[in-house]
Amino acid sequence: MNLIDKYIAEVGKYLPRRNRADIEAEIRSTLEDMLEERKQAEGPENEAMILELLKEYGPPRKVAESYVGPRYLIGPRIYPIFEMVTRIVLAVLFAVALAGLGIALARSSVTGPEFLKTVGESALGFLSGLITAFGNIVLVFAILERVLPAKEFEKETEDWNPAELASEPDPDRVSFGEQIVGIFFLVLFLVIFNLYPGVVGFGFFNKSDWVFISPVLTEAFFSYLPWINILVLLQIGFSVYLLRQGVWNKGLRILNIVLELAGIALAVVMLRGPSLVALTPEQLAGTPLAEAAQVFTKIGNLIPSLVLIIVVIVSSVEVAQMVYHLMKSRPSSTYPVMK
Amino acid sequence: MENDELVQNMLLELRRGVLSIAVLSQLSREEYGYSLLKALSDKGMEIDQSTLYPLLRRLESQGLLQSDWRIADEARPRRYYVISTQGRAVLSKLKREWSAMAETMKQLLS
Repeated sequence: MNLIDKYIAEVGKYLPRRNRADIEAEIRSTLEDMLEERKQAEGPENEAMILELLKEYGPPRKVAESYVGPRYLIGPRIYPIFEMVTRIVLAVLFAVALAGLGIALARSSVTGPEFLKTVGESALGFLSGLITAFGNIVLVFAILERVLPAKEFEKETEDWNPAELASEPDPDRVSFGEQIVGIFFLVLFLVIFNLYPGVVGFGFFNKSDWVFISPVLTEAFFSYLPWINILVLLQIGFSVYLLRQGVWNKGLRILNIVLELAGIALAVVMLRGPSLVALTPEQLAGTPLAEAAQVFTKIGNLIPSLVLIIVVIVSSVEVAQMVYHLMKSRPSSTYPVMK
Repeated sequence: MENDELVQNMLLELRRGVLSIAVLSQLSREEYGYSLLKALSDKGMEIDQSTLYPLLRRLESQGLLQSDWRIADEARPRRYYVISTQGRAVLSKLKREWSAMAETMKQLLS
């Protein structure tokens, strides 16, 4: 392998695979032309001549950069929304951590070492939650960066009409933030229930000890999980498609109603089926809840049903809203919009 | 920042803006990258390889240029570029704009 080959291979390392071969061929052709010219002026080629030529052509990384341009994990068009979502999620996490710390401190004795230990544990828990949440947000946005078409974004910028500032918000415009927060929680749901079902539970401080009770998710739950997964994945796909479209239309609203109804149907089936969690009085033994174990077990086992009932209610409201939007014709704009 | 450096940076930006027009103007006859570089340089428009080749690719992807790999005299494959029909139309508009801009600048600077 001669110097020119090595140089081209080095440039190739920094080029996208898609047009690497083509760019490499073009650089080679240019270097050979330049070398040819030098040979005519200075005599037969030698290593010093090639070294000087490569030096002039530039450092491999810089040469590759000139072809590629800047590449982003999360680009400037969605960065502001990324920042907004991150702020909201981190603020919520911080509030939850503070509340947790408050409860822990109220329960623990206020001696120095005890106090420091409780604060330290809370801080560590907050930190690990912070990193996980941030990682998830980055993941969702990095995927969005790659699937949202640049054209749509530019079109929206071009079509911008100052009259929109004065008019009522367009009911057909897709709320970017709402969909992204939705996608974030759906992904979180998939990750937790499929990969880490063990973290589903509730915890509390018993004196200074953190007690975590994970009611075992029953086989009944796992038999529903594939159906839940399909619905969640469909919903994520739908949200991404919606973001790409930018506006609601009749077809999308009908599709959304179908998805919501499927969700309601599954929730009803799950409500009528066997219990989704099995919390036993034995799991509460040795905790302050042990005295009222029977009552707490009942409450614990009721929580999934409560969640499902909330899902049914929220989904029904959304279906009602969608149907309302479908029935109502789109109000005409106060200002004519030039297209 | 030294004045010289400031001037250099501004010149670089100025040049970047007009390079597309310069390149389009020289491709009514087909050229390969290095011969185009020489042609531009002979007429006083110095341009770096690392600027020219990405620019050629961009103009091609915008449909203003066409290119194909060919083996010419020295049995070495080269990519030849030539202006497209769309490129000609764009260039003639750009030429008019450039003349108007040059006229305005002349008045501003006199």
